[in-house]
Amino acid sequence: MSAPDARGETPRRLMRAPPAATAILFAAIVGGVLVIASGANPLQAYYQILVGSLGPGALPDTLNWATPLVGMALAAAIPLRGGMINLGGDGQMVIGGLTAATVALYLPAPGPVAAIAALIAAALAAGLYAALAAWGETRHGVPMLISSLLLSYPAVGVCSYIVRFPLRDTATGLPQTRMIPEGARLLTIAGPLNIGLLIVIAIAAAVVFIDRRAIAGYELRLRGVNKRFAGYGGIRLDAQAMRAMFASGAIAGVVGAITVLGSQFRFIDEALLIPAYTWSGLMAALLANGEPVGAIIAGLFFAALQTGGFAMQRETSIPRVLTIVLQSIVILFLAVRHGLGRRNA
Amino acid sequence: MSDLITPFLIQSAVQAITPILLASLAGSLCQRAGVFNVALEGHMLVGAFAAVVGSYFTQSAMGGVAAAILAAMMFSLILAYGATVFRGDQVVIGIGMNLLASGLTAYLLRVLFGVSGVFSDPAVVSLARIRLPGLQNIPVIGWGFASQTYVTWIAWALVAIVSVALFRTPVGLRLRGVGEQPDAAETLGVDVTAYRIVTVIFGGALTGLAGAQLSLGAVSVFAEDMSAGRGWIAVVAVMLGRANPLYAAGACVLFGLADAMSIRLQGEGLPNQLTDMSPYLVTIAALAISHRKRLRAAAPPAEVAAASPGGAVEPQPDTR
Amino acid sequence: MSVLELEAVGVVKRYGALLANDHVDLAVERGEIHAVMGENGAGKSTLMSILYGLQPPDEGRVLLRGVEAHFRSALDAIAAGMGMVHQAFKLFNSLTVWENIVYAREPRRGLFIDRAKARKSVMDLAARHGLGVDPDASVGKLSVGVRQRIEILKALYREARILILDEPTAVLTPQERDGLFDVMRHLAAEGRTILFVTHKLNEVMAITNRVTVLRDGRVVDRMKTGETSAREIIRAMTGRSVSLKIDKGPARAGAPLIEAADLTVAAPGGKPAVDKVSFAVRAGEIVGIAGVAGNGQSELVEALVGLRTPDAGSVRIAGREVTDASVASHRAAGMAYVPEDRALIGSALAASAADNLAMGFQRAPPIARGALIDSGAMMVRARSLIAKFGVKIASEDSPVGALSGGNLQKIVAARELSREASVLIAEQPTRGLDVGATEFIHGQLVAERDKGRAVLLVSAELSEILALSDRILVMYEGRILADVPQSQANEETLGLLMAGRAPSPA
Repeated sequence: MSAPDARGETPRRLMRAPPAATAILFAAIVGGVLVIASGANPLQAYYQILVGSLGPGALPDTLNWATPLVGMALAAAIPLRGGMINLGGDGQMVIGGLTAATVALYLPAPGPVAAIAALIAAALAAGLYAALAAWGETRHGVPMLISSLLLSYPAVGVCSYIVRFPLRDTATGLPQTRMIPEGARLLTIAGPLNIGLLIVIAIAAAVVFIDRRAIAGYELRLRGVNKRFAGYGGIRLDAQAMRAMFASGAIAGVVGAITVLGSQFRFIDEALLIPAYTWSGLMAALLANGEPVGAIIAGLFFAALQTGGFAMQRETSIPRVLTIVLQSIVILFLAVRHGLGRRNA
Repeated sequence: MSDLITPFLIQSAVQAITPILLASLAGSLCQRAGVFNVALEGHMLVGAFAAVVGSYFTQSAMGGVAAAILAAMMFSLILAYGATVFRGDQVVIGIGMNLLASGLTAYLLRVLFGVSGVFSDPAVVSLARIRLPGLQNIPVIGWGFASQTYVTWIAWALVAIVSVALFRTPVGLRLRGVGEQPDAAETLGVDVTAYRIVTVIFGGALTGLAGAQLSLGAVSVFAEDMSAGRGWIAVVAVMLGRANPLYAAGACVLFGLADAMSIRLQGEGLPNQLTDMSPYLVTIAALAISHRKRLRAAAPPAEVAAASPGGAVEPQPDTR
Repeated sequence: MSVLELEAVGVVKRYGALLANDHVDLAVERGEIHAVMGENGAGKSTLMSILYGLQPPDEGRVLLRGVEAHFRSALDAIAAGMGMVHQAFKLFNSLTVWENIVYAREPRRGLFIDRAKARKSVMDLAARHGLGVDPDASVGKLSVGVRQRIEILKALYREARILILDEPTAVLTPQERDGLFDVMRHLAAEGRTILFVTHKLNEVMAITNRVTVLRDGRVVDRMKTGETSAREIIRAMTGRSVSLKIDKGPARAGAPLIEAADLTVAAPGGKPAVDKVSFAVRAGEIVGIAGVAGNGQSELVEALVGLRTPDAGSVRIAGREVTDASVASHRAAGMAYVPEDRALIGSALAASAADNLAMGFQRAPPIARGALIDSGAMMVRARSLIAKFGVKIASEDSPVGALSGGNLQKIVAARELSREASVLIAEQPTRGLDVGATEFIHGQLVAERDKGRAVLLVSAELSEILALSDRILVMYEGRILADVPQSQANEETLGLLMAGRAPSPA
């Protein structure tokens, strides 16, 4: 009865290369219409984005922006590779940031030791919190999509409370911690760049390596293709979900820690959330369907777009939030367009 | 305890419930039609923004409501066609739409009004409140409805009307079948795609209304990302209510009470960063408890499958 | 009689290289019960879906009461007075019986459904045809037999004059089957025409007027039931006169490796799906589980392999207690498992053959090298298994989703058999496979046995069970009715047991 659709392939959510180019073109056109409607010149806008991100002198800023964004793209990509979605990056990042700040401020140890301890503590705290969402799904039947997101709000709330009351910097009176001693800060490489960039590069290399070469990568990838097959094949799915979420949350925590230890030098309420790294990172990971190299490339692309957005806003009247609109149009185009491809196949 | 349940508390609970209620109604209908709508959050935000814009330019709350409904319906076309005709992944489309709504409203806020963050203006007319004489003397229910916008009244009326339509009319019966067994519905002559498209767009209208209540109900303000997770709570309400509008409404009441209680606790001196968590914690706890109950009833929660990405589209067994 | 109700003339249907229907002619008279017979894959289902408008023929015509019919969809067929009861029911489980029946044809009162009228017409219809149902019951809670009645009522509610029943008895208990036959006779006596698709001989002999036999997509014979014999029909169906016989020596059974004790799996609706089942499979023997589909075999296997936690009782694999453990623990104890659903569970269709063949081997050398995968070793292994099992695939990097059913099954079997596990559980291992692939898989199962492994074979094909098993357990309504040595088993005794009746002492 069912016409023999020999393929019967598991839907791959998005396609790569040429469709991505089409999607970017489509987003540029829709965004252009939006810019024209608001009375500005889209070509000028896009030119400014290009110059402001990849032009002379702009590259360090782009890399600086890409550091947390690519980090969050990797955090999102790991669960996605196994067919899971972590929407709680915000909470995990904030937990990491606050943990790092607390350790760096209060650990009675020499600066570099405190910095390393802060990074590790941030990864552990945020990783465990993310694993909680997996535990919610495996033991309590709360879908991870929902539990990860809903757990994010209380995390942000509690961290906000802590920095407003117990850990508030009484000198400034603002909702922020004291400044982290200089010895515990991440070393500067040049300009805005610090060794946080190197840490993210190392994480990226590790994720790609594990994905391609390690047993854990194979098992996660196969789970993403067919979860029931993975379970039947003897993979312990519950433990795997916890591990994947722990890794995801740990990376998010490190991203929070890097930002606190490397650029802001204190935990400032809401400062980690305003740039929306979590959501740009998630979009980058979705764009690549969880494949880490694709997620990194997409993350770099989005970082360039957003960095260019600052220049655009400076040089033209166009608000830089336009870049977020462009990003989401790319995602939507691919999500919908992917369906088109499947139907014709 | 008794001094906690005051007319003010009940009133603010009813007020807080309205947007979630409308969104959960939309979500329930979509679920019934077989579309997992996680874009409720984005719909609501678009509605909230359009309501302020409409109210500002027409100088009337009615204009705001109309604009909200229209804008959210337009917005819902992405999901309506993306998830049906184009057969895209519903979860990815939903997440993309939420981000688009966030970016688009922030962009337009700057372009139209030249502000970022929060916009309020005397020209933005808020929704009128209906005051029925004597109502405030009836405990609890009367307190709750003594001074509410007509959107709140419409919302509760819609819960009743939609429930009746879903369970008592031919269209409702067909809709319920479409979500459960699209193949079977199709062979019996029901156009599954058309049902889904219309349902998602109707859901858009409902969430647009929800957005209007959000920005023109208690206040007449638009703030970036002011939906603040309410759309997701509506998604949870749909799960808890197993896509039954009445049960989902019950879940909404629970969240509303938690929300109002958190305001009340702030009054007692607790910092709002802590009290704001209560709706989310109540939500998670409710989900876990309902799962335990359902396990005992030995019925697999279909929503869990639907909620995992790609869960709705499993490869067909190769029968040859 | 002899007024033609429905005809297929020269119907051809191709799926790629496969010729599913090759110039099929079929003539069905008004008021008769007409069997369409053939083995799995003979083209019965394809022919029915063409008659019912689910897909158009590539060539040929369908005539309804002498007039050519052009059905664009099942809807047109229904409007023309046809009804079909599919093997997989198309029912809405959460809806009530009457809602399912009147769906999309609801009696109305103003804006609303006229529930009283709907319920009454359903009850009237049920009473008239002897199809007892509770109109207000929720369909998901009903037994398979009752659901089938609802499907028939659905067709009758739409005034079907021609009823296609696709393998309707596969899921029925003997009592339910007898009830169905009464209904079929009654409907035929009313002047309705019934097309009865089946591969069960005794049913054809019991109830039909005429038989059309398909083999490899072609009509090979047409017979009047009263003027033919079972033997003749079998010969037409299989092209050979005897069922398959397998060359194997006597079993040398050793220690018990699969042990189930009082194993119980609850089911929604009261009666357990598996009801205190106890048995053992010993090293060096093949134990077959026979039974009509739906008597708890699937649930039993799920509980044995760890895909489902049993509600009571215990399971031991190779001496290790694994009752509540995951599949992983069962595998660690030494279990290989060929699942019933090779596409949804047994393989990852979008992944490559190498990835599929490595599953379960990724944590041990040679594929594992520390925490890493040795992709070279993975490829070597994949290539050697592909060669050994004769899988027709472009390369080990190709996704297995493109493979035919038989080749995919070989991938699954290759992986599971290469585990060299002491226990092998094989569920419907040859379903949908051609003769060559079937023989190959059968040979492998016997080879496993001869290597001293415990093999549990679950199959709906009685001939397969009879040919392979050293002992046969017959499952009926969740219980094991009998444990019959191969030497004492034959189609007749097993058939009686499968029907829930103890064989009369010989």
